[in-house]
Amino acid sequence: MNNEGKQPLPIWFFVGVILFVYGILVIVGQAMDPGGQALKSLKPGFIWGPVMIVFGVIFTAIGLVAHKRQG
Amino acid sequence: MFDRIPLPRLAALTSGAVLSMAAAAASAQEGQHKAILSLGVIDWVVVALYFVAIIGIGLYLRGFTKTGEDFFMGGRKNSSWVAGLAFLSANLGALEILGWTGGTMKYGMFVSHWYWLGAIPAMLFLGLYMMPFYYSSKIHSVPGYLKLRYDERTRLLNAISFAVMTLLMSGINLYLMALVFNVLLGWDWHVSMWVSAAAIGCYITLGGLMSAIFTEIVQFFLIWAGLFLVTILGVVELGGPAEVFANLPDKMTTLWQTTGAASSNDMGVTWLGLVMGLGFVLSFGYWTTDFLVVQRAFSSKDLRSARLTPITASFFKMALPFIVVGAGLVAFQLTRRADMGFELLPHPSTGEAWYDSALPMLIARYYPHGLVGLGITALLAGFMAGQAGNVSAFNTVWTYDIYKAVINRKASDAHLVWVGRVTTVVGILLSVATAYVAMQFNTIMDYIQAIFSWVNAPLFATMLLGMFWKRTTSAGAFWGLIAGMLVSFGIYMGFKFNLFGPTVATILTLAEHPSDMTRNLWQATWGWIVCFGGTILVSLFTVPKPDSELVGLVKGLTVEEDGSVKVAWYGRPAFWAAVSLAVLIVLNILFW
Repeated sequence: MNNEGKQPLPIWFFVGVILFVYGILVIVGQAMDPGGQALKSLKPGFIWGPVMIVFGVIFTAIGLVAHKRQG
Repeated sequence: MFDRIPLPRLAALTSGAVLSMAAAAASAQEGQHKAILSLGVIDWVVVALYFVAIIGIGLYLRGFTKTGEDFFMGGRKNSSWVAGLAFLSANLGALEILGWTGGTMKYGMFVSHWYWLGAIPAMLFLGLYMMPFYYSSKIHSVPGYLKLRYDERTRLLNAISFAVMTLLMSGINLYLMALVFNVLLGWDWHVSMWVSAAAIGCYITLGGLMSAIFTEIVQFFLIWAGLFLVTILGVVELGGPAEVFANLPDKMTTLWQTTGAASSNDMGVTWLGLVMGLGFVLSFGYWTTDFLVVQRAFSSKDLRSARLTPITASFFKMALPFIVVGAGLVAFQLTRRADMGFELLPHPSTGEAWYDSALPMLIARYYPHGLVGLGITALLAGFMAGQAGNVSAFNTVWTYDIYKAVINRKASDAHLVWVGRVTTVVGILLSVATAYVAMQFNTIMDYIQAIFSWVNAPLFATMLLGMFWKRTTSAGAFWGLIAGMLVSFGIYMGFKFNLFGPTVATILTLAEHPSDMTRNLWQATWGWIVCFGGTILVSLFTVPKPDSELVGLVKGLTVEEDGSVKVAWYGRPAFWAAVSLAVLIVLNILFW
């Protein structure tokens, strides 16, 4: 791959994608979980997963915007 | 825990988890335990995706890694945010998190000293005062500065000791990672070690320092995403922050009030030992001279960013007790309330409560599938990023300070990149070999961890004098460094083999029967004092370098042009350092 003169995508992009994908998996995991933990009624995966997705979208956007500015 | 462990590579291993884990190793190897956590399909997907992500990042960055500057210095293009988070994450390991969470159950808020007093002043000092000398001289490593400021022999002494220390630490890290996952999940030792070593070797060989930095930042976010929720859920279950702090013994809620006498706190240290040993010698020795962390600042795009790197990191460092100490206090309160049905695991070898199991037990208590995988991945990332940090620092020091300095002075840039890649593979293999040695001989870890206070504590005196006293000579630095290292080593061996009586012990540590923690703090302090004094003494009787050779390397002979004067006040390193210091002071007053 010839990347002469190009800049790599910023780390924020990768962080964003990872948080986004993991956020989805956390929600799926909560949905599939048989329960049995303390505070199971809170269903923390249904709260934490969306939080991760939101942060994932924000970081992905930051990464893409920064990459565009780099040219 | 603390009372058994010498101070190693400061925060990463001072937690006590290392020897506690090591003591468990024999039992674990015999299979006398049950796995704490079981993973579901979705958890396995989370873990597998982590490996796909880091190797994918390495493959992607391979196309941008052409020159020595790219491979060893990350292209020197990073912002202070990127370099700062990597700077912090290179130090933030899974052992530290496991160990200090357990440590909080024994010592309470006292543990915060390792995140605040034991880190922030040194990080700010590095950013404000030392970074201009490091960065402006365009060196590739800390030993590289020693070559410019002093001479080749001082560089070689430090390069070899750093390389050995780093490889051994890397091996221990690998071994303990395999141990932790064997105990927590029942994973096979050999598979854990070889799979993680192969993944690390793969992405560092491909992308060099930039790969290491990217994965360290990913690790930082995974740790917050995967572990902070444990503290939140614990606080919710206990009824809020006030309930978490309710009815704690006084000594668990204070930072300073029990430090008037060593006998007043469970750690057995006084305020003087804390301030001198932890806050000054060990902390400054680690944060300002250990190439593993400083290398991240070298990757910055300009001097202002490099100076902001540790200052930016200091804010995130101060926030970490919200995970570590918070989870520890939650676990402590849960164990005190019979109605909660929460117990720590028994230690595999002693049968007593195993404090290092606190965090995994909290994960098991609160997390559903998916989040369990995320928590495990956060720990895995903590181990692997620490390993990668060691390897990337080792390949740089080996390539520039040993190979190019001694073996092949005329090596081309392309050849050095090739050497760096080969060194990465060799370093990984040596780490695995060290891990197997540690597996067979657990007691060797005791010595390996102590290397930090032999190497880095005296080195801080050498650096300090070199940067701020132009009269310091090359001979003074070399012999002072050797004297400091020998004294630190001698005190360690003296205590280890009970060669000191009560009188000598009192002179050395201000305590007739010092705890191991006290010994370690003073051992490093004496190493620093002897190096500092010895360097001055020899320097006074030897010839210094002329000023013309020290421009850019010593205070007063440096033209500092970092662009800070051209930016608004809120963009200057000094402003953010002042804010960081103010936050540190407020935190200490709040928990005085």
